[in-house]
Order: sequence, then structure tokens, then C-alpha cells
Amino acid sequence: MIALQALVNGLVSGTLLAVPAIGFTAMFAVLRFPNFSVSGVATLGAFAGYLAYGSGLHMAGSLAVAFAVAGAAGLLFDKVAHLPLVRQGALPAAIASIATGLVLENVVRLSFGNEPRGYDRPIARDIRLGEIRVSPQQLETMALALALMLAVFAVLAFTRIGKAMRASADNPELAALKGIRPERVAMMASFVGMGLVGVGGMLFGLDSSIDPLTGTRILLSIFAAAVLGGLGSAPGAVLGAFLIGMAEELSVLVVGSQYRAAVGFVAILLVLTLRPRGLLGERAF
Amino acid sequence: MSRIRIGRRAALAGGVAAFAGPAVLRAQSAPSGADPIRLATLTPLTGAGGSYGPVMAKVAAAVTEEVNKAGGVLGRRIVLVSEDDQTSPEAGVRAARKLIDVDKVIAIMGTWASSVTTAVAPLCWESKTFLCTVSGADSITLLPHQGFLIRTQPNSKLQVTRVGEFILSLGAKKVFTMIPQTPFTQSTFDILNQVLPKGGATHQSLIYDDKKTTYRTEVDQALRASPDVILANGYTPDTVVLLKDLYRAGFKGKILGFAYSINQKLLDQVGQPEVVEGVYTFAPSPAEGSGAYERVKAAVGSANPDPYTCQVYDHINMILMSMALAKDASGVAIKDNIRKVTQGGGKSVDNAVDGLKAIAAGEKVDYAGASGPCDFDDKGDILDCKFRYEQVKAGKFTLVKIA
Repeated sequence: MIALQALVNGLVSGTLLAVPAIGFTAMFAVLRFPNFSVSGVATLGAFAGYLAYGSGLHMAGSLAVAFAVAGAAGLLFDKVAHLPLVRQGALPAAIASIATGLVLENVVRLSFGNEPRGYDRPIARDIRLGEIRVSPQQLETMALALALMLAVFAVLAFTRIGKAMRASADNPELAALKGIRPERVAMMASFVGMGLVGVGGMLFGLDSSIDPLTGTRILLSIFAAAVLGGLGSAPGAVLGAFLIGMAEELSVLVVGSQYRAAVGFVAILLVLTLRPRGLLGERAF
Repeated sequence: MSRIRIGRRAALAGGVAAFAGPAVLRAQSAPSGADPIRLATLTPLTGAGGSYGPVMAKVAAAVTEEVNKAGGVLGRRIVLVSEDDQTSPEAGVRAARKLIDVDKVIAIMGTWASSVTTAVAPLCWESKTFLCTVSGADSITLLPHQGFLIRTQPNSKLQVTRVGEFILSLGAKKVFTMIPQTPFTQSTFDILNQVLPKGGATHQSLIYDDKKTTYRTEVDQALRASPDVILANGYTPDTVVLLKDLYRAGFKGKILGFAYSINQKLLDQVGQPEVVEGVYTFAPSPAEGSGAYERVKAAVGSANPDPYTCQVYDHINMILMSMALAKDASGVAIKDNIRKVTQGGGKSVDNAVDGLKAIAAGEKVDYAGASGPCDFDDKGDILDCKFRYEQVKAGKFTLVKIA
């Protein structure tokens, strides 16, 4: 029974993890480098949402603020630091993104200090469904995450810009020949991708508390989810996020929670050894 | 464009002045007759401990002044040198070298961070300089310090033993400890596994990852043991998450944690009083209400001096009296005599001026300090000190007892 409860818990954290994982994988699909500054951007989004929520904005509005601020920061850093290096290869850009992530983390630290802060959200007792308990807040957070994911998939499937992003990710040269402007698609990917990461940071913070290391804590899980599902595949990222979320919770029962970080690393190791393309392969959609 | 030109002569004159300056200042504070006795504080004036170090140095200076006014020790003036360890082992070692080699101090007081104390201690015992520290890590008194080190901060063994005893006093039968991976995790388990069964309680535990954003599964695991007391032994950020998840899971038993983690900041973040209602906290406490504590309050001008300041007050008083008893001002003399003035009965004194008079009159003294009774075992650890227990009631910390 406790295993079933752990699975439910994993499903909840997997849903939250899916949002930034989609952002991470979408950026990889279009920009062709792993952007590790997601750690700093997730933190930034969490704090932007915190300020918005604290100023009296309701939840959806605060999430929109987190999205916009994180997206803008992502756009800026890609423009200034990452994209000029991509021409030299993915590795220099990836290393630069680690640096910008650190910069963002410390900007937050200098502005807000190291003290953890909590969203002023009422904490309610769990609802019991037989032996399984779920918290009403988590259901709400989960619903927000699911709605956001549906919106992202709808945009990718039905809108011009979504189709352009997918085309660009699939074959940049061919897309350019068809008149899709690669810079515009790249900017869109930076903004939307990092926006999702910022929202993810806030969703994680809603349940716990936020501090300058909020994003760093979820970085490995985001990366593992994206690699597991297949870097560049949005549905893959969702699948990967659920699997990582559940594996992390189940591992608590088997090896203890101090080995949680190992779950992410083992997942990456297995995928790279057995199926380097990831579970769903590398497809933008 | 005009430039400031510094000629060779001016530079030379400036250099001489710069070197001579401290000597002139030193000459002013030195006594006309006998050589002064040199002591030092090495506290964190900057860095992570920067909020504590300045007050620690201040209280030592206040005691020095008082004793000098009363005629010094062995007819000699006390000169106190203050250095900054920057809460960094490298800076601490540089400062300690200067204190030992240049200033020729015979004792160093107040090293704060365990890493600094660990780095500075070998310099001290090799040069037979006495070291008094406020660092808590168990490993410090296990160093081969040959007796040249004492500490006034309770080590984790003493702290956890007292936590265990307090848990038993709450009537606990099944105790569950939830703790992240830290240098004291294993020793905490070991000590509680000894203390709790003696009082008829069982003990189970779980190590969690302090970087997780939810502890729902960990809480489920803990609650399977149906504990009546949970010891939440983490730091503030993870304890916030843990307490929320315990509340959500409907845990009705008692919760206990260290005051360095369950503090006002934690209450602010949780934001909802019923989540933390009834939670007990625990911390080493200065000997509030004692004569020495009142003297520290007056010396630093604070109604609520921190434990480290109280401990440095005790350091300098104990050192001054042990030199007087030995009739010798050296690190070895302090090492051989410090326990003779701090324990074993005799006239109870809470300051060096009274203690020095009693020693001059041939009386045996037993120092009772601002941080506690100041009795030491052979390794240099204190045998006992007061602890402060509080409970959250209606969103406020209320005192349960100091014992």
C-alpha cells in the first residue's frame, strides 16, 4: 500500500517536473544545445511569481508573471551569451549556460538574500481516498500544470508559430528554404522554453519554499527527464518526467531518500548506454 | 593633468612612520616596569560568523580593562590583541601565526568555526599556546592537543543526550528521527539508540535528502511506525517542507527540533500557526540569571548576549585565574591549572577580579561562568551546561524551561 502511495506522490511530482522538462527539451530541439541555465531561470521565475502573488495577484496571474520574467531572462541570456557560442559547438554554449545559471542564482541571492521564503498559501489537511491520501493543493497545482501542458501542445500542433518551431527543429535548412525565419523561431523557443522553466520553478516552490537554490535542486531531475524521454521530444519529456518522478519516490522505499540524486544519474546512464535517442526518440512532437 | 608624485624620500619617511606607528602605540600601552602578559582573541570579525566576533572581542576587552584597573595579574598588566579569522581556516592560520610568533601571546580565545579551530589548534599545541574555543564539532577535542585546548560549547554528544532525555520527559514511547545527511547524523542515531531505550522508548530513524521539494513519501514511511514523537533534525529550508507535509498527513503526535532550524524565520515561512502549533525547540543556553551572565550583559550593553560572547567572557576569566594560581604566565601554566580554578569545589566566583583576590588570599576557587558551570573533562569538553526548551503556542515561542 505504501508503494501505491509512493506512486501517487511520484505522479504528482512528475506532473510538476514535466513543465520545465518540456521547456528544456523544446529549447534543445530548436537551439541545439542543453541550456543548463534552467537552474537560475527556474529560481528567477519562482521569485517573480512570489512577488506577483505577494502583491495580491491570483495564482494564474502570478504564473503568467513567472512565465514572462523567466522567458525574458532566457531570451536575453541566449542572445548575449549562449547563441554566439553555439556556432563553436554545443559544448561551449552548454558551459556558458552553466555560468549564466550561476549568475542568475547569485543575482537572486543578492536581491533577496539566502533566507527561504514561502508563498502565503493556506495549508490544508490531505483528502483520503481509502488508504491513499492526496493534498487538495497538490491537485490544484497538478491541474495548473496539466492545463499549461495542454496549451503548449495545442500551440505546437495547431498554430503557425508552433508548426514553424517543429519544422525548424526537424530540419533547419529546409525550414529556412520554406521562408521560416530561424532567428524568430530561435527567439520564440528561448522565450517559451524558459517561460515554462520559470513556471516550473514556481510550481515547485508553491508546495515547499523558495530560495536561491530552488532551481539547482530540480536541475538534475529536469535534465534526466528530458534525456530519458529523448532530448528534443516534448511528449518524451512528459513521459520522462513521470518516470523520473515515480522512480525518485519509489527509491525512497528501497534505498532511502539520501540516494535520490542517484536516480537521475542512473536513468541518464542507462539511457545513454542502452538507447541513446531516449524512449521516444528525438522528434519535436 | 596633474599627478601626485611620491619621491623616494617621502616614500621612505612614510614607510618608517608606518612601521614605527604601532611601536609607538604599543609603547604607550606597555607598563613602565614589568613585561605585560599578552593574550589574544581570534574571532570572526568578518565572514559567516561576522555578527558574533566583534561582541566576543569586546567582552574580552572589558574584562581585561577591569582586571588591569584592579592591578593586573602577578603584578603585570594584561595586553589583549584582537585578530580577525574571517571565518576562514586560511585567514585564521595566518592570524594565529602572527599572534604566536610576533605578538608572543600565551593564549588564544574565541575561535568560532570548527574548521578554523581545527586549523589553528596544531599551531597552538606545538607552540604551547593555550586555546579556548566555542566550536562544536566532536572531532575538535579528539585532536592530539596535549591539554592545550578547552571548549565551552557543548559537543553534539551532550546536546543529543539532552534531547533524548527531554523526549523521554514528554512521555514518548515510539520516537522517530528524520534527519538529512550531515556530519552529526550517525552520531545522533547512535546516541539516541542508547538513551531512548533506557527510558523505555523505541527509536527508529530515516535519512532524507535535504534538496527534495516534498517529503510525502518520507512522511508516509515515518508514520508507518506510528510514532508519538518525531524529532525533525534538519535545517530551516527542509524542515519547513517536512512540517507542512507532517501537518498534511494529519500527524497528531509531538514534534521536536533544534532552535537553529525551528526559529522565527521558519514560523514566518510556514505562515500558518496551526501547522507549527505545539512544536518543541531546544538549544544550548547561557546561564541566564547567574552573576556572570549579568556581568556580560553590563559589559556588552545588551539585554540578551549570545552564547558565544558568554563563552569568551568565561575563557578570559578562567585563563587569568589559572595564571594567578600557577604564579606563572605561560601556556603550560594555564594548561596545568585551569581545572583547579574551574571545578572541584571552593569559593564560587563569577569574575576574575574576585577570583584573583581569593587566590591571593590562599583560597580555593570554583568558577561558575556566564555560559554554564565551566567544568571540563580530560579531553577539554564541558561536562554540563544549561539548555533552553521552548514550545510554539499560538504562533509564538514560549519558554518551557531552562535546565
